[in-house]
Amino acid sequence: MKKLLLFVLVLLCDFSIYAQNGVEQKYLLTMKTNTYGLSILSLTDPYLSPLTYTGNGIQFEHESRRCWSETNTRLSIQSKLDLDAGLLQNPAQNSNMTYVAVNYSTGLHYKFKPVNGWLFLAGGSWDIGLGYKNVARNVNNPGNVDLATNLNLSGIAMYDLQLNRRTYRLQLSVETPLIGWMYVPLQGASYYEMFRLGNLSGISHFSSVFNRRGINPRLSVDVPFKRSVWRVGIQYRKLQYKANDMVFDRKETSLILGTTFDVVHFGGRMRKAPTSFISPTD
Amino acid sequence: MKNYSFIFLLVVLLLPSCMNEPTVQPNTYEGNFQSLWKIIDTRYCYLDYKQINWDSIYTVYHRQIPSVTGGITFFDLMGKMLNELKDGHVNLYSEFDISRYWKWYQDYPSNFSSTLIYTDRYLGKNYRIAGGLNYRVIDNGRIGYIYYGSFSDPFSDSNIASVMSSFSKCHALIIDVRDNGGGSLDYSKQLASYFFKNDTVTGYIRHKTGDGHSDFSKPVEIITTAHKTIQWQRPVAILTNRMSFSATNDFVNRMTQAPHAIIVGDRTGGGGGLPLSSELPNGWLVRFSSSPMYDTNMQNTEFGIAPNISVALTATDQANDIDTIIERAIAALK
Repeated sequence: MKKLLLFVLVLLCDFSIYAQNGVEQKYLLTMKTNTYGLSILSLTDPYLSPLTYTGNGIQFEHESRRCWSETNTRLSIQSKLDLDAGLLQNPAQNSNMTYVAVNYSTGLHYKFKPVNGWLFLAGGSWDIGLGYKNVARNVNNPGNVDLATNLNLSGIAMYDLQLNRRTYRLQLSVETPLIGWMYVPLQGASYYEMFRLGNLSGISHFSSVFNRRGINPRLSVDVPFKRSVWRVGIQYRKLQYKANDMVFDRKETSLILGTTFDVVHFGGRMRKAPTSFISPTD
Repeated sequence: MKNYSFIFLLVVLLLPSCMNEPTVQPNTYEGNFQSLWKIIDTRYCYLDYKQINWDSIYTVYHRQIPSVTGGITFFDLMGKMLNELKDGHVNLYSEFDISRYWKWYQDYPSNFSSTLIYTDRYLGKNYRIAGGLNYRVIDNGRIGYIYYGSFSDPFSDSNIASVMSSFSKCHALIIDVRDNGGGSLDYSKQLASYFFKNDTVTGYIRHKTGDGHSDFSKPVEIITTAHKTIQWQRPVAILTNRMSFSATNDFVNRMTQAPHAIIVGDRTGGGGGLPLSSELPNGWLVRFSSSPMYDTNMQNTEFGIAPNISVALTATDQANDIDTIIERAIAALK
């Protein structure tokens, strides 16, 4: 009984505040998407081997997006955490490479709707990535680290397709690095020389479109069900960078599957969910 | 609007375009030969130092490719070509064999007998083992003797502290690294650290920076740091033979700068080039010396380090269960 009374009081307080302001309180929705992927991977790391290793990988990506503020809904903030792992083999299939990577990015997009049904987000992001590749049979160069941070151009196009009384959201997103910094080891030097003896000259590189190029288009469709929205899609990632007379290459084609949902943060466990949300994709 | 779309499309298409990726040879005898020859030509560090005409070797071995009848004969031919480098750090690894050059010790007297060091005069049967170190007090309690057979065998500070504690009444120490074919440079540095009072430059290293045979980086100092708490500041003799190779060579090179150390025995086997690995199109792994290491006078250590006291194992001593090199070290330490 006490709890019910408290709940009513809280609701009344809220209504009274709204009444005093005369303006409906709006809440920012955060769109969260978790996707899992299976990939076909291809890696070339001349520090480890001149050969291209191919194999399969798994990935997980958590994406979060919300509008900049209740008053500025044209801008949206995005953050992404991407985890990758793969097991690859050389063309002769007698040597394995294991690969793990983590990438975090945060970005800002400007939203515009030039045509009904279409939504475009254009902007940029900053990301930092750390990866490790290991070819166990190598001597003194069994592993190599990928470490880079970049400012990226990114864009997203969305189209809401009405079909069978459901709204399917088609989405194409693209991102490409512009400038940044990357670590690339010295081709002839061992990690012993670089990190035990401290010869770090030549491992730090400014990156731009001249020595680091990549693109990662992703095409997906959000399929609404009764209680959830599922995302299914295909993604292609290509990254190529050059430093210390070595050209590194990474290609990945993934099938992705996940869920996307909107959440809102407001105080009080018993507080009733308000009706006036602002979704970053409205 | 059309112009912008065109530019956007152009950018999207151009950005992931190629960056002059190096061509990978096809997986044929010819392709694998070319690949192996080029790896050595551009990345092996001792072609000029050893005055090897790698172009002539190309001519000699390339003309034999047509006579190759199968994978094994091709492997043998490539192994023979690599042996022209006369380098124990150069190997070709296939699924059925490993090519190797062992003349750096096979062409010389062994100067070591494991039977001898385990006689009662030296380690005996009741020696102690701390990490990878076998040790015992010899010469009526006057000398501490350690046999360390591989720099791949780990040991810790507490191992060394225990060993040195048991040698506290000894006036000198012998570290026998004969037949120690190397292993980890970290252990080499660690073992040497117990014999230095101060951090000391004990050598230099360089690496290949280009395709030219003498394209090297500037020398980088190899510093042996003195251990902060465990130090042996009494005489120490390091026993060496031709099989003291690679990381052992590095250890001996460091110990030439230790204040109370002498090197006794035969010249070490060398192996002064830090090896790296690469691959051929058929998946065979090739290991090769990539980073030359030098002593404090910037002299290459590839062909070994000469001892302060050159001694060989004699047949007469051996017949009497006496290790000539250990005995000479004991005499020198007195």
